[in-house]
This record gives sequence, structure tokens and C-alpha cells, in this order.
Amino acid sequence: MSRLEILNLAGLRHDNRRPYELRSLALSLSPSPTADGSAQVTQGLTTVQASVFGPREPRQRAAAAHDKASVVVEVGVVPWAQGQGGSRSRGDKRLLEIGAAIRQTFEPVILTHLYPRSEITVQVQVLAADGGILPTAINAVTLALIDAGISMLDYVTAVSVGLHLKQAMLDLSAPEESDLPTLVVAALPESGRVTLAQMETRLHVDRFEEMLRLGVAACSVLKEEMEAAVKQRTTRVVERMAISAKGAAKDD
Amino acid sequence: MFTIARIPPAPTFERGSSPEAPVRMDAMDVDGDDLGEGTSLGARRTIVSPGEVITSSKEYMRGHGTYVEDDNVVSAVAGTLERVNKLISVKALQSRYTPEVGDLVIGRIVEVGAQRWRVEANARQDAVLMLSSVNLPGGVQRRKVESDALKMREFLAEGDLLVAEVQAFFQDGAMSLHTRSLKYGKLRNGLLLELPPRLVRRLKSHFYHLPPPAGPVGVDVILGLNGYVWVSLGTRQDDREGGEGFDAEGVYRNDNDEIDPESRQAIIDVANVIKAFAAHGVPLADTLIAEGYQWLRDQALVPGVPLAAADGERMVRELALSE
Amino acid sequence: MPREIEPPSVQKEFLESALAEGKRLDGRLPLEQRKFTLTFGAELGSVECRLGKTAVLAQVTATIVKPRDDRPYEGFLQITSEISPMASSVFEAGRASEDEVMITRLLEKSIRRTEAVDREALCIVAGEKVWHLRLTLHFLSVAGNLLDCASLAAMAALRHFRKPELEVLGDETIVHSPDERAPVPLAIHHTPLCLTFAYFEGLQPILDPSHIEEILAAGTMTITLNAQRELCVLSKAGGSPLSVDDVMDVVRVGVERVRENVKTIEEALENDKKSRVVEVL
Repeated sequence: MSRLEILNLAGLRHDNRRPYELRSLALSLSPSPTADGSAQVTQGLTTVQASVFGPREPRQRAAAAHDKASVVVEVGVVPWAQGQGGSRSRGDKRLLEIGAAIRQTFEPVILTHLYPRSEITVQVQVLAADGGILPTAINAVTLALIDAGISMLDYVTAVSVGLHLKQAMLDLSAPEESDLPTLVVAALPESGRVTLAQMETRLHVDRFEEMLRLGVAACSVLKEEMEAAVKQRTTRVVERMAISAKGAAKDD
Repeated sequence: MFTIARIPPAPTFERGSSPEAPVRMDAMDVDGDDLGEGTSLGARRTIVSPGEVITSSKEYMRGHGTYVEDDNVVSAVAGTLERVNKLISVKALQSRYTPEVGDLVIGRIVEVGAQRWRVEANARQDAVLMLSSVNLPGGVQRRKVESDALKMREFLAEGDLLVAEVQAFFQDGAMSLHTRSLKYGKLRNGLLLELPPRLVRRLKSHFYHLPPPAGPVGVDVILGLNGYVWVSLGTRQDDREGGEGFDAEGVYRNDNDEIDPESRQAIIDVANVIKAFAAHGVPLADTLIAEGYQWLRDQALVPGVPLAAADGERMVRELALSE
Repeated sequence: MPREIEPPSVQKEFLESALAEGKRLDGRLPLEQRKFTLTFGAELGSVECRLGKTAVLAQVTATIVKPRDDRPYEGFLQITSEISPMASSVFEAGRASEDEVMITRLLEKSIRRTEAVDREALCIVAGEKVWHLRLTLHFLSVAGNLLDCASLAAMAALRHFRKPELEVLGDETIVHSPDERAPVPLAIHHTPLCLTFAYFEGLQPILDPSHIEEILAAGTMTITLNAQRELCVLSKAGGSPLSVDDVMDVVRVGVERVRENVKTIEEALENDKKSRVVEVL
């Protein structure tokens, strides 16, 4: 069993990145025309697609809260996501946990009091997994919610941070994730506040602070990319609508 | 302290190769008259996204799509900025249909309850149609009898489609509909299209009749503001409300009329035209649909067959964007 | 199944205004944890922890099994939790609610993934026989902050437990009963303990929320620390966002608290040892 070198002598990671380098980011809005809002985010080799339905009538009448919307999150991993013909080694509990984390992250960020007695359903599908499923999923859900026109306080962006012998690293891939202590941070970039933080391995408290600040800074960088994509698409659609409106107005 | 490097991503769906500067105008500097006062020139509109500070809330009031934090008006959705005097609001690019009183909507019955029907109308909550808000067969002015409440399924059962108008709102935002006009009621003889609600604007009339040569009797189109569009067999002017041929007893008939093949093709062609426009994000209007259908006939494409993507693009380009 | 009824808004306002003045409903300071007591059962590895009115019973049992093929030197540590309507009428027997799943997963991460128990020391005969430890938690009473109580009980139980002494003679393994030879404690690297903080919008976080505080909180954050100032698990899922400085303040408070708690556990273990006859005279 050969072990991957986390950082080689030149200071490069196993996929030739520098420690603070994020993986390549590809964003796509509205890939699913049937959903109210959808987005697909690819970071490196990890691809996650999120679809948002709602606000709409709750499926169970009893679940409706009288003064705000209820948020339901379902997470699924396609069998071929991990490669090698689909081994579902994670199991359902892990997906339940990711779903609960996403729901609790977005519930205070969505302005739910604007949609009483309705339900917002978020469906997350992991299409390819190479580390960083939770952060990529959170980024995809943010874009999907914006695409659906649901009011939110701010973007929620997330990134994973790892530590290798006092050197912090951003946006870990799967082999790095399994070896290093990993911290997943999601933040509201405009205010710089942390909304989700999850870490599962032993880490000294001082190192932790450094990683947390680094993660929040990376979240701001991600937001810039996402905002640019959203604005570009919005501009295009608005132009199209305006031109057609002009054309229709001329006929009248 | 440190810099975070990024590999510029390969051109994705969103980031085209043209280096057009994204409209990143800081909304802070759109004060005074710089904000287009409701002009329809889309390119001049300011685009904002969630979390973006628009302006100080000491001078402006916040409207839809914004919230106030620390004396600032902040956008809550991605869309265009709109200002009316001192009111700032952001119109989201896409959102669920938000009803207003007087809107015409098409809906489907999902539940028959006590003296009311629940109607699914592509909104945040199901709409309610009260028994007292429908026309009972036999004339508009007929008195409601107790037995009507027990015969509700004879009028409208689960799965029926109807066109109605929004009368009022309930406390929690659900619509209350009414069909108290002869032009509203149960829908027959046609097919339903589900489109994004923003493509249907509030217009003078939502009932369009495409005269022959669109089929032997023409094709009717009803544009519901909630995004549902009904394309059906054309009715003659007489048979519509107020005409002599109007069938007062048959408003709740469940069967379809006899439709000949040419009419069916016409209906399908019109539906395809509408779908093509919707696929390219073009808002619908009656003249546009008529032009589209005419274009389709001129192109002599095989009738009844769905529009190929290339043809759809061509049509959109020629008709909608060239003006 | 009765659902938990949301407390009325007046209660929420009262709680928040009291907290703004630095007072909690049960008279504690914001960062004060309830006193906890450990009661050891007759068997080794059986502990009941009471944190205020919350009670969790932890029990450790051991059996000998065959190890995994790809890890022939490691033993097993399995953590299971039993939740029943006895703890609270909200819970259903047998069905795991979302909260319960979270608690179990956090405990697994705190204890198993941080390697609190040395699994290689559980090996008897490499490739053939290893110890399989089963840590079962019974939630007896819910009065807020099940997780902290469970983690105290779990670590106390693991440190209390003694596995029987073994002798390997050739192919045979003789398991000595506690009467013949003194049982052996487990090899525990460190004692990770969970601390749960609840926070409300715009107010400072509070430690060890009671039941009502938990329901009304805008969010909770759980950190697991050990006495060596190491952060083992951090879980802040949603809830109102915190600035980095707030998070670090909470972590620092936690470090001190965990040290105290570890000392308390060790004292309790000492007291129990004195009163129990473990060695064979």
C-alpha cells in the first residue's frame, strides 16, 4: 500500500497544487429546468448538484410552521460517485448527518419568515466524490437557492482546511482528507462570521485558530467567484427579457 | 499576511471567453438620478446579489427582496435593483409566482373539502376556491341550495383544470379564487403547458384566439399568470360568454368535444411555438405567438412534430431578438 | 407520539432578557456547568452519570472475536445508544430520531476516531483473537445536554472497566476470572470530553444548556477537548453565525472546563477504587 506524499520536497501537493491553492472551480446555474432553482458545482474532481423546490405546499400538512417556512434537505450519492463500480461504504448515517448539517446551516440564513406555512425542499446529489463533499454541497445549495429567488441574508460558502506538520492546506482532496486533520468551515463572507464548523481529529488549540481564520478568508475568495457567475447569468437573462419586452411593446 | 492563489478555472458553462466586465457596480454609488427610473433598458439596470449592501437605510425605505442590517439596506436575492422615489426593492430573477388580487390563474383541483376546493396553482401554497365563489350550472344568478354542497364533485373533482381569478388572500398568504364570470371555469379540449411564471406578464387580456388558418376553427390560448398556459380548440365568438350559443348548463361537462386531426395539429403546433419561446426565456405575448405560428407555417416544417432546437433558435432570433 | 411543544414566545423573551443581564433561569452563571456525579455500579465498567437532572448509564462489556482480515492487530470498540420513552415521551422506542443519531455520531467521533482507547492493546493473538468492547449508553432522563452527560459517563466507564487477565499457552487462551487474577485496565491515551454551548442571537454563549435553553437556542456548538489542550471534535452546525473570535473564546473556556472535569472523574475513580476490592488478596 503506497502512501501518497502529502507535500513533496518542492512544496507541492500530490495534485501539484500549492498549500493555499484552491482546486479548479466550475459553476453552473439552472442545470435542471424542472426545479425552481438548481446549481452544479465542481471543485477539482468533486461534483455536486443541488436542486431546490419551493416555497411550496408542505407534503405533510402537519409539518407546516405557521410563521415561517420549513426547510427539508435530502442528500444522495450516486453509486458511481466513488469510482470502482459503486461501493456504498459511507452508509446512510453519514448522509443523514450531512443533510442535517446543511439544513441547520441554511435555516438561519434563509429569511424563512417571508414564506409562512410553506416548505423549501433541497435535494443534493453527489455525482463524483473526491474529498470535500460537504463544502461543495453547501456551495451548490447556496447557488441553487439564489437561482430559485429565495431571499437569503448572504452567500454561504464553505471550504475544507487541513493541517500537515504545521502547514495548513486548503480544499483537500480525498487522499488528503483521510490522512490529515480536516476542518470544514462555512461562513457568511460579507460579515466574516462562521456558520458551520466541523472537525473530527485531534488538533492543538492554537493551530485550530490559524486554520479557522484561513478558512474564513478562503470563503471570501469563493464568494467572489460565485457572485461573478450569478451576476453574469442575471445580466444575460435580464437583457434577454428586456429586449423581448421592447419587441413586444413595439407591436402593440 | 498570506495570499490565497487560485488556478483560473477552465471556461465553464457560465464563464464565457469574452472578457465582459461583470456588472459589479457598487450599489452604493447609485444614488440620485443614476438609477434608471423604471426604463425598460435592461442593460442599464443594476444587478445585485444576496448580501450586497445597497445603500444607507437612513434615507431609503426597504422593499421586497431586501432587508435592513446595521443601518444599511442589503439585498436578499439576485436580481435587478428598482427604485421608486424612496423605496428600494430588488426584483428577483426568478421566483415562485407571487399572486396579486385580480390575477388570472390556471389551476388543478387537488382536494375536495367542506364547501371549498383546494387548488394547486404553482404558488407557495395551494389556493382555495370556495363553493360560494363558483357559478352553479343553470345560470349565474341561481341560488345556492344545500344539496350543492353534497354534490361538489359533480362540479369539480380532483384532477380537474380550471381558470379562475384571484379574489383575495387569506391571512397566511394563500389565494382565494373565484370563477364568477362566464369566461372562467372548467377547462376542456386542450393541453396544459407549465412554464416559468416570469414569462407571463400582466397584460390587458389573457385570452387569445388565433383565427384560422390555425386549424379549421382556430386555437384558443389562455395565459395564466402562474405560468400555466392552456392551449385548446378554438371557440367561435358566439359560443363564448354572452353569445347565443353559450351553453349555461354544460359549464361543468367532463367530456371533450370531437376534435378533428387538423385542429389537433394546430393545437400542438401552437404549443410547440410557446414551448420554444419559453425555452429561450422570451416573455409571451399574443402577437408573438401569432407571429411564431405564422413563421412555423411559412417554414413548411412537418406539422405536429416538436420543434428542433436549431429551428427554435432560429425562430426566436428572427422574431424576438431582431426587433 | 406526542411531539415536543414549542415554548411560548413570552418564555423565549424572558429567557433572552435574563441572559442579556447575565442570568440564567436556574441561577447559574452563563459559563457554569451543572455539578455532575458519577455513581459506579457493582460491575466494573458500569457508571451512571447525573448532570443536573440528566442521567445517562454507560456500560462496557467485552467479548473475544476474530479480528478483521486487513487489520489483524486491532480490536474493536463499538458504541451503541439505547433511547427509550423512559427518558422522555418524545422519543420512540427503537426508532432513532435525528437528535439521537447526532449524539451517537458525535460520541463515536469523540471516542473512537480520536483513538482514546488503544485498539492495538486489545489484541490477544494477532490475526485470531482480539477483544471486542461494547460500550452501551442508556439515556435515562433528558433534562438538557444529553451529549455532555453521555460523554462523561462513557469515559468514566471506559476508565473504570477492567478486562479479564488472559494467558496464552500455545493454541489455547485461558481467560482468568476476576477471582483468580486481577483484571487489567484498558489502555487509554487521553480522556476526551464533550462540552456543549448554546447561543442566542446577539448574546454570549452559555455552557451546558438545560432543556428549555436547548429548545430555544438559536444554535449549539459542541467541542470535544482533552486535558492536553487538544481539540478533538468541533461541531457547529448552523445556528446563528459566530465570528472567529467568539469561537476561539468558547474554545478557551472549554479547555479550562475540561481540565476540571477530568480531575473530577479521576477523583471519583479513586474513591471507587478504595471502596472496591479489586485485587486478590
